[in-house]
Amino acid sequence: MKKPLILFFRATLLLFLLVSVCGAATTLYVTSENAELKSDSSSFSSTLTELRRGAELTLVAKDGRWYQVSTVTNDTGWIYRGKVSGEKPEIENTEDAGAGLGGLLGGLSDSDIKADAADSSRSIRGLSPEAKEYARSTGTPRQSQDALDSVISRTASDSDIVHFLKNGKIGEYAD
Amino acid sequence: MNHHNDNSKKNDNIINRRNFLKLAGPVALFLSCPAYAFDLFKVIDPEGKNSDIQKAKQALAGLTGIVQSAEKLDYQSEFTIGETLALEGFQRFGLPVKNDRLQTYVNTLGNAVAKNSPRPEISYYFVVIDTPIYNAFSCPGGIVFVSSALMKGMNNEADLACVLAHEVTHVAHKHALGSIRRAKFFESAAKIGTINMEGAEGKQFRDMVGNLQTVLFDKGLDKNKEYEADESGMDVAYRTGYDPNGLIRVLKMLQQKEATAASKGSWFSTHPPLASRLKKCYQWQQQYPDANQMATTQHRFLTYRNML
Repeated sequence: MKKPLILFFRATLLLFLLVSVCGAATTLYVTSENAELKSDSSSFSSTLTELRRGAELTLVAKDGRWYQVSTVTNDTGWIYRGKVSGEKPEIENTEDAGAGLGGLLGGLSDSDIKADAADSSRSIRGLSPEAKEYARSTGTPRQSQDALDSVISRTASDSDIVHFLKNGKIGEYAD
Repeated sequence: MNHHNDNSKKNDNIINRRNFLKLAGPVALFLSCPAYAFDLFKVIDPEGKNSDIQKAKQALAGLTGIVQSAEKLDYQSEFTIGETLALEGFQRFGLPVKNDRLQTYVNTLGNAVAKNSPRPEISYYFVVIDTPIYNAFSCPGGIVFVSSALMKGMNNEADLACVLAHEVTHVAHKHALGSIRRAKFFESAAKIGTINMEGAEGKQFRDMVGNLQTVLFDKGLDKNKEYEADESGMDVAYRTGYDPNGLIRVLKMLQQKEATAASKGSWFSTHPPLASRLKKCYQWQQQYPDANQMATTQHRFLTYRNML
């Protein structure tokens, strides 16, 4: 008499657990730059769309290091696991110039370049006017200034990074 | 109806009085020390839900152009501080290794890792400097130094990826700026429109850079910030596709070198004891059961390491 009762309870518990697991959709967020939604669980499959950082996704399935996800616009595809997280990332407002040195050093700064614009133009500009002024006022040796100039003139483009990761078979490009 | 209006007015008055009392402290403090006033606002209204407090904050900031806190500097200013620190770093530790291929390799690896960091929006600049000191450090805004000695002690790309990810995390969390948030420079910046490097404000700016040098080159950051960078560094490297145990291997290598290597300005003197870092890393290691299947990429790394 007791055995069927225990079996019944076990079966009910199992059913409850299955329903709970299946019912609770896992929400993920894109946390990396340059995240792509692929048509299959491989970096060599076609790119369905590029996903912005912070985009909300719903986990559908897992295949090794790849997650099948659906977007808020109901596109379904695959994304490498390293590019998502269960925690929503903080997105920096790089366009908020704020009240920083650029403004505070007013006369020295040559423009009101926004942060993202400053990024892309830095390789052209080299040392900022403020850093040059600091170097002048502190008697920083020329060779240190040249060293910094060379460092901030060296950029790594998105295609450089992809090429680098592909060559090394790193992350989403692993066999 | 009138009764209801009376009650409503009374409630409004009580709320206004409360807000006035909440504002009185920061305003008084603001007159003597602006930067602290913004801290007090945070204590009173930590989540920024009180619209009156937020309006007052904006008004004070607008009146003065005050930075509010070192961590809230705009990126351009943050990068400028980083540039000045980098200038000091070259003088203190040495100049870049003269090998363009090597520098491009390290810069590309660092930026690949940074794309998966908590702050991937900005560009990072990585440089290998010629010095026998085992060290790596990062300047605000994203200029990251790694010493030739430290790189020579590593055996694969995952090791280097973990160290670079550790430094990127410091930049992402603005750890260095947070350590000098009380600098006079950020207070007086409210009272001036421009900074003349020859004047008193210029001196305060140089003092602030000097304080940052002491933190980064001598004293080191708060040990909890280092642990945070270790944990986050392992995670960022793993997300990119590298074996996160690279950090453990580097710390173990440093343990072997510690007895004989120069301590001043090195990871030995500016970071928490290696044993305690390793202990924590072993705990975090448990989060990566497939770590040994991740990339280590030894051959490519050794090609470049041999250029040193």
